[in-house]
Amino acid sequence: MLGLTHYTTLSIVLFLIGLFGFILRRNLIVMLVSLEIMLNAIIILFASISHFTKDISGYIIVFFIIAMAAAETAIGLSLVVLIYKKLKTVYSDEITNFKG
Amino acid sequence: MNWDLVIFYYLAFAMVISSILGVLSNNPIYTVLLVLVMIVHQAFLLLTLGSEFLTAIQIIVYAGAILVLFLFVVYLINLRKETTRSIFVRRCSLALIIFLIFFGMFFTNLMLVFRNKPFIQAYLPFNFNEKASDVWWIANYLFKNYLLQFEIIGVILLIAVLGSVFLIRKVKSINN
Repeated sequence: MLGLTHYTTLSIVLFLIGLFGFILRRNLIVMLVSLEIMLNAIIILFASISHFTKDISGYIIVFFIIAMAAAETAIGLSLVVLIYKKLKTVYSDEITNFKG
Repeated sequence: MNWDLVIFYYLAFAMVISSILGVLSNNPIYTVLLVLVMIVHQAFLLLTLGSEFLTAIQIIVYAGAILVLFLFVVYLINLRKETTRSIFVRRCSLALIIFLIFFGMFFTNLMLVFRNKPFIQAYLPFNFNEKASDVWWIANYLFKNYLLQFEIIGVILLIAVLGSVFLIRKVKSINN
């Protein structure tokens, strides 16, 4: 039978994939996409808990998470474009300006 | 045949495989498109959880706005392909601790899945109430109990728009 644990297992696997991508990759855009994968794992977790406990609060938190993800993406991508204009690179190990 | 499990396992494997391929791909355009595949599958997963409104929001906001924003930035920035991968050897112990914590959670969940009875069961046409859809419930709670949070998220979105415009304009004025 389909239970809550299926959804939490899927959520943990997706969160691990996003964390792996965030640590492994050097491209700032791919790091932001990995953040989106982690946020989607959190969305699955909240929606499944909200469904299985018959409480609507989890769906409302999912609504807020999606709005917050839109704001975070706008700010993050504008910062990436700004970094590319200044430094001509988007790789996180080549941005070494603050070392002095 | 148990269609609940078939649909769930199809969606889960499609999401996991597309996100793994997206994270490991060298080309950022392939990454964004594979994550788009993952997000559409996740919208249908939310549909199996009984929320039509969140499915629509997921497709409109994520697939329609956020991923298109990523694609525009990928097209805007002329990238060469990433050839080498950095290996975090010095942070190996920290990574091992984090991996062990998450693997413990994953293994505990998997044990609970393969026991015969999960502690809460689900059936595929999920609804909170037969008389009202989830749009009614979300609107009712959002505008009664969560009104202050709704206003705050509106202000956060306004600040995001103003901040991104301000960041871009400041660089132009310095360059001129």
